[in-house]
Amino acid sequence: MAKRAILGFLTLSLVVAAAFASFYVVPMERTMGPIQRIFYFHAASAWAGMTAFMICFVGNLLYVLRRQQKWDWLGVSAAEVGLAFTTIVLITGPIWARPVWGIWWTWDWRLTSTFVMWLLYISYLLLRTLIEEPDRRALLSALFGIFAFLDVPLVYFSIRWWRTQHPQPVVMGGPGSGLEPTMRKVFFFSVLAMHLLMILLLSERYKLEKMGGEVEDLRREAEA
Amino acid sequence: MKNFDSIFAAYLLGWAVFFGYYLSIGKRLSTLRADIERLKSSVGRGK
Amino acid sequence: MALLSNTAVVLGKELRTEFRSRELLTTTVVFILMVVVLFSFTFDPTTTESRRFGPGLLWLAFLFAASLMLQPCFLREQNNDTLSALRLSVSAPFAIFLAKLIANTFFLLLTEILMLPVFAILYNVHILSVIPQLVLVFFLGSLGVAIPGTAFSAISAQARMRELLLPLLLLPLLTPVLIASTEATAALLDLNPELRRDWLGFLAGFDVVFLTALWLFGEYLLEE
Repeated sequence: MAKRAILGFLTLSLVVAAAFASFYVVPMERTMGPIQRIFYFHAASAWAGMTAFMICFVGNLLYVLRRQQKWDWLGVSAAEVGLAFTTIVLITGPIWARPVWGIWWTWDWRLTSTFVMWLLYISYLLLRTLIEEPDRRALLSALFGIFAFLDVPLVYFSIRWWRTQHPQPVVMGGPGSGLEPTMRKVFFFSVLAMHLLMILLLSERYKLEKMGGEVEDLRREAEA
Repeated sequence: MKNFDSIFAAYLLGWAVFFGYYLSIGKRLSTLRADIERLKSSVGRGK
Repeated sequence: MALLSNTAVVLGKELRTEFRSRELLTTTVVFILMVVVLFSFTFDPTTTESRRFGPGLLWLAFLFAASLMLQPCFLREQNNDTLSALRLSVSAPFAIFLAKLIANTFFLLLTEILMLPVFAILYNVHILSVIPQLVLVFFLGSLGVAIPGTAFSAISAQARMRELLLPLLLLPLLTPVLIASTEATAALLDLNPELRRDWLGFLAGFDVVFLTALWLFGEYLLEE
């Protein structure tokens, strides 16, 4: 109980500090003005989401090899949390693009590959709802999850390559590209804060999954 | 401040997603906790 | 080697089954034809426009057709209860996948080659000088579609809503194949035809990645 409270408090303070830093510590960006500050939120969420999907992949792999329920719980929790962060990226991207470019969506390679990755993990969750038997569901979704994660770098690479041949406006400069030192420090601080938030959400979601397992066991016991 | 609405909207929507997700987990957790209590007592009675 | 002989036996069965009725091939060809015709209503089919949109629409048609054509792959086995017999008849489950994916690639390639002259006539594009290169692109692309497609056919056969599930799982994952195949095809249909070795190399890489994944994890897909 105390551990969770500490984690929650730490996360909250870091997130608030990162937001504060992104508004007051970082100098004003020359061309875009204040809207550029959303970059710290947007890009940091992207990195945290990616880490969550990596954790999902590890969970999937370990479930297939070890068949322990906890890895399935980790997989689904990490996928959902990763999806939450990825949704943030897809929402803040257009909100950034609109004042800067005048359009909501440009098939910018980063946003587009993020969109495809989002679709892949939505499919992962949808697959799970369509298989009733828990062990089968865990195994088949883990296998799909492995294939999906292997696809992610291929998606990024192919879309990026394709876009360099058919250029479109880029929504943002990449993390670290043309970032002066203060900006870079605040960015990494934001990434840290977002990762902490991701771990907090992941542990809560995992607890939910674990409790679901307990309910199932109790239900079976009650029926026996 | 230029583009204030956009920044405001972005942060608002962003944090709304996270809070919404966190709260939905919390709600499901309390439902499950209630289930566990109920089931534990019925199993106890059965035994 | 046992793997090769097992694969050959299962492959023989797959080909014989299909060529006896030819129902999969005929329905797939007709489906692609319908999509090609329907697409013609969505843009002005002048020669320049056709050259611009043609390759993309062709590959979209192939992808949609494949996601329908791949469904019976494992569903047929499940409905007729032949899967366990099949599993007993081979020394390694990978032989089953290898045979089915070779058969599926062959069927896909056949329908694509059959569609090629129709497409060329309907959209006024010149293909005579580049037919062998086009077949190469179609082969590598079809392999890229068939490998994850065969794997996911095994997954969707064990879930509900399988008709919608297979496209849902497959299509986002095939984004890199769509991009690479379209670019390679477009380059061959251009005024100055060019064989894009870079995209072909990418396609080959994609095929290798997923073939390896199928080899490593295939047996789990067929677990009881």
